[in-house]
Amino acid sequence: MKMLPLALLVGAWQAAASAGLLPASVLPSFWEVAASLGGMLRSGEILPHTAASFGRAGAGFALGVAGGVVLGLLMARVRAVERAIEPILLLIYPVPKPALIPLFMVWLGIGDFSKIAVIALACLVPVVIAAYNGARSVDDMLIWSARARGTAQGRLLWRVVLPSALPQIAAGVRTAIAVAIIVLVSSEFISAETGLGYLIFSYGGVGADDAMLAVVIYLAVLGYALDRAYLAGLRRLMSWHAFAH
Amino acid sequence: MAAAAYLEMRGVAMRFGDGAQAVSALDSIDLSIAEHEFVTIVGPSGCGKSTLLYLVGGFLRPTAGGVYLRGRGIDKPGPDRGIVFQRYSLFPWLTVRKNIGYGLEEKGVARVERDRIVGEYVRLVHLEGFEDRYPRELSGGMQQRVALAQTLACQPDILLMDEPFGALDAQTRRILQDEVRRIWRRDTKTVLFVTHDVEEAVALGTRIVVMSARPGRIKEVVTRGFDVADGEEFEANPAFAALKLHIWRSVKEEVKAARG
Repeated sequence: MKMLPLALLVGAWQAAASAGLLPASVLPSFWEVAASLGGMLRSGEILPHTAASFGRAGAGFALGVAGGVVLGLLMARVRAVERAIEPILLLIYPVPKPALIPLFMVWLGIGDFSKIAVIALACLVPVVIAAYNGARSVDDMLIWSARARGTAQGRLLWRVVLPSALPQIAAGVRTAIAVAIIVLVSSEFISAETGLGYLIFSYGGVGADDAMLAVVIYLAVLGYALDRAYLAGLRRLMSWHAFAH
Repeated sequence: MAAAAYLEMRGVAMRFGDGAQAVSALDSIDLSIAEHEFVTIVGPSGCGKSTLLYLVGGFLRPTAGGVYLRGRGIDKPGPDRGIVFQRYSLFPWLTVRKNIGYGLEEKGVARVERDRIVGEYVRLVHLEGFEDRYPRELSGGMQQRVALAQTLACQPDILLMDEPFGALDAQTRRILQDEVRRIWRRDTKTVLFVTHDVEEAVALGTRIVVMSARPGRIKEVVTRGFDVADGEEFEANPAFAALKLHIWRSVKEEVKAARG
């Protein structure tokens, strides 16, 4: 049932193309795109590009999430850190992170490091905000409860604040998964010789619209699968929390 | 001067905020509590009765005066004073077993010994079979049983209870009141129990403290001259009814005063 709107959209797309309402120069038919994707998967040519992309996105994501959790918790608990980081964070927040790619290339070269750095920064932002809000909304009574059961002041962050903030952090990490994919593809548009973003950009450049769209759909499916797998893993690992959906 | 009381509040005042916005929550509180007493504190909402409990817990520091345990000033929380809140005593990410064993783990008690002690408290509050559940999977009454076991497992000298049964239905509340009384008799702990329920205050407290509307002052302290047995149908006891009526009238005056 959930897939019905999607099936209708694909059906309408194919029907319009078959009826001649949609010239191939505007949009290739669904079958052409699907056939192109099938070819890429059979030949295996898409796999090394997938691996290169996921290496970059994974590294950036891991750095961003780890840094984001630490920074967010510290901001919530240490006044000086909050004062130092908050203005910087508010400044970075509205900047489209791909706009920083040229700058990072000047600093870190045109290779993987600049891409990983931009992805890390982009992933860091939603996680910092989630960890900060999560840690700040810990109920006083829970802190008092821990203190009256022998938890020293210095251990509260680890014993109470972090676990209390986990549901919010988990939501921030989910956003970071999507952000990682977006910034990854943008960074591979600008300079890369491998990767799914590179494929999209180069197929688009030579007018191979069916192949270009095939990679876009492949990316969408992978992103969807990642998000589902993440949510399923979360429900298992955090069964103590009542998730809203 | 007589020997220092076990738990003593001397000239305690508590204000929140400053300047024109300052709210005086407690004023000139003097109260002495002997060891093994079960003291209930009752008063209209907003009278500062929970604040009084938090001062004994060491979660808050009084604006004036001092709170002393065995003659020593209380300045921070500690496992010698256990607390059960109306909610939020339990850690949602820990199972019943780990919640009850929390204080023991913080104290460094080894796993095997910890499990043995946890087992004891699980039996004490009748939660056998629920050891591996998370708090959200339990009813409100069961959650409060876990909170009680979690607090008792730390072996506190004083049990602080902040309207612990306020969110429960009448039947569950009655059962848990009996359990708390039974545990108090068994362990002869000192209990300080805050409630807005007059019947609960009389059913549990060997002494009942009535507080005034804000700023909270001690209006009267009544010693209950009779015992209440576990499971007793105290509704049938004329002495109980008379005391309940007396306390109720006293509290009602304050509720009216608070509404002004």
